[in-house]
Amino acid sequence: MEKTISVDLKNHLSEMERLRQIVEEFSQKHQLDESTTFALDLVLEEVVTNVIKYGYQDQERQDRIHVDLSLMNGELTIVIRDEGRPFDPTAHPEPDLELPLATRPIGGLGIHLVRNFMDSVEYKRQGNENVLTLKKRVTIQGQ
Amino acid sequence: MQIRQNKKDDVLILELEGRLDVNTSNTFSDRVLSLIGAGEKYFVIDLSQVVYISSSGLRAFLTLAKKLSENGKIVLSSLRQEVKEIFDISGFGSLFPIVASQEEALRIFQS
Repeated sequence: MEKTISVDLKNHLSEMERLRQIVEEFSQKHQLDESTTFALDLVLEEVVTNVIKYGYQDQERQDRIHVDLSLMNGELTIVIRDEGRPFDPTAHPEPDLELPLATRPIGGLGIHLVRNFMDSVEYKRQGNENVLTLKKRVTIQGQ
Repeated sequence: MQIRQNKKDDVLILELEGRLDVNTSNTFSDRVLSLIGAGEKYFVIDLSQVVYISSSGLRAFLTLAKKLSENGKIVLSSLRQEVKEIFDISGFGSLFPIVASQEEALRIFQS
C-alpha cells in the first residue's frame, strides 16, 4: 500500500520549520526509526535549502517548491520539484575531504551528505522544472 | 538554539542545545565570532544537547576553525552518535579534537 504526502513550500527559509514538522508526522505515522527520520530531515533540509538559495533568482516571487514523500514496499521515495533556473545538485564534484583546514572549501557538503544517506539520487530537468528523486530502503519499527 | 556560556581559567565553555540547522547555525557562529573578536582563544564546545546538525552547522564550525587556527584552539565534546556521524562523513572528525566529555576537553587545555 502506498502512503504519500505532498507539500508545497514557498521559497523561503522560514518554511523549513513547517517542512520539519511534516517530516516528523510522516515519520511517526509510518513508524520510521530515529536514524531514518534524522536522515530524512537532513536530506530535505540540504536539498530544499539549495533550491531556496540558488535556484530562484528573484526572491520576491512566492515560487513553489513541491515535495512528495512516499513509502512503498519498504522503500522511501522523496521527489523535490521546483521551477527555478536549471540546477543539477548532482553535478557538483565531491568535496575533497583530505584537504587541510586552510584550504578546505565550504561548499559541496550538502549534496555529499545527501548522497551518503540515500541509496540513490537522481536529477532530471523536466520542462521548466528541476526534479530531484531520492530513494532509500528503510526500517519500519517493529519489523 | 540555546547557548550556555561559562569560563574556566582561559577556556570558554559553550554548551549548545537544540539544532544546528540553516536557520539556527548563525546564532552559534555569531556568538563565537564575537567572542573571538573580544580576544577569546580557547573554546570547548559541548554538544551533548545538540540533536541535529546539517551542512550549515558544519559550515559554522569550519568558519570558526579558519578564523581561529593560528592563535587558538577549539575542542568539541560529548557529541551524540548521529551528530558525530555527520562530522565523520564530512571529514570533519579530523579537523577538531573530539572527546567524550567536557572534563576531558578541559584536560587538553591544561596539558
